[in-house]
Amino acid sequence: MRWRALAHRFVAVPLALLAIAVAWNIYIAFNDHGIIEGEVRDKAGAPVVGATVIFFERNFIYYEEKQRATTDAQGIYRFTDMKTHIGQLEARTADGRKSERRQLRLWFRSQDTEVAPLIVETPRA
Amino acid sequence: MRRSPGSPAHWPRHVIMIVVCFLMLVPFYWVIKTSLTGENIYAWPPRIIPVDPHLFNYVDVWYMIPFARYLLNSVIVTAMAIAGSLLFNVAAGYALTRHFPGRRWIVVLLLSCMLIPFQATIIPAYLVTSWLGVLDTWLGVALPLLSTIICIFIFKASFEAVPPSLIDAARVDGLGEWRIVTRILLPLSKSAIATNVILTFIWSWNSFLWPLIAIRSPDMQTLPLGLARFLSVMEDTTGALFAFVVLVLIPGLAIFLMAQKEFIRGLTSGATKG
Repeated sequence: MRWRALAHRFVAVPLALLAIAVAWNIYIAFNDHGIIEGEVRDKAGAPVVGATVIFFERNFIYYEEKQRATTDAQGIYRFTDMKTHIGQLEARTADGRKSERRQLRLWFRSQDTEVAPLIVETPRA
Repeated sequence: MRRSPGSPAHWPRHVIMIVVCFLMLVPFYWVIKTSLTGENIYAWPPRIIPVDPHLFNYVDVWYMIPFARYLLNSVIVTAMAIAGSLLFNVAAGYALTRHFPGRRWIVVLLLSCMLIPFQATIIPAYLVTSWLGVLDTWLGVALPLLSTIICIFIFKASFEAVPPSLIDAARVDGLGEWRIVTRILLPLSKSAIATNVILTFIWSWNSFLWPLIAIRSPDMQTLPLGLARFLSVMEDTTGALFAFVVLVLIPGLAIFLMAQKEFIRGLTSGATKG
């Protein structure tokens, strides 16, 4: 009889919503270190060493620069402790090449994310 | 001879009802579609099918304003309003089923009070709330909904539908008035309870004017006030705005869908005789 009461829609629906919320928050708790990482490549697909990757955070009106990272010998960059859920990424090299700005939207603040490779190329005149 | 609902003679009526249902659902579809795409609502020709839908506008709403705080305030205020309205409306509804001198005048007074719009009573309501010292509190926001005349009459109609012999038998068995209400009348008035809950929920959840007046601190704002604040601080908000609207709508729709059977029964009980 008690178990049948759990199947009533006034009980089952709130319980289902509660279960979803708890599961979602558990998932967030294990994946919210604020790590954003990815790779910078040139048009030929080779990793770019020493490129600067800039993260632009969105405020109410525009995107402003928040943090920079440099690619390692494998062309990989890594931002840590990024407490945001929306921003843009752009890679620049010392010889003036740069990538298109990549829009980054996350499902929750500080979500650990692996970004698709940023491709640097010589900007058009 | 009575035709069955599935007979071909009923098809035109069904087609008309389906078209009307479709027309009623179009605004909801449009709000949800815009919340998923963020496209300009003035774009021409309008797109029926959403292009590149995503849920990130909902994430924006959650983080760009204190949505969780607004939600908590709305939930607490609504819970207080529902609990208080059940208590006071049941008590008043039961009192009006009893015979006492001046009962008819009280019924007439209550019915005539229904003609006065809430906006006309804002100043006295504010003064009373201030005098009680509950301005800018959850209780202060819930106060005007703690008793509503419509729900009093819904309970009155529901209680009057219970056979008087049942109440007399309970009284003979030694039950007091309060136990007659809680043990006999309320279990037989589930539709009225559901109607009271749904109506109070909708009124409290959507209330804008009274919270706007009664609340001063940003932390105490409810969802409708948050929506107004959201519009005032955000740029480029079409998608996020509609996502906010959907988030505000969902609890009300969910409660209505869960309790619609009781809601319809509660509104129509006492409407016909026999």
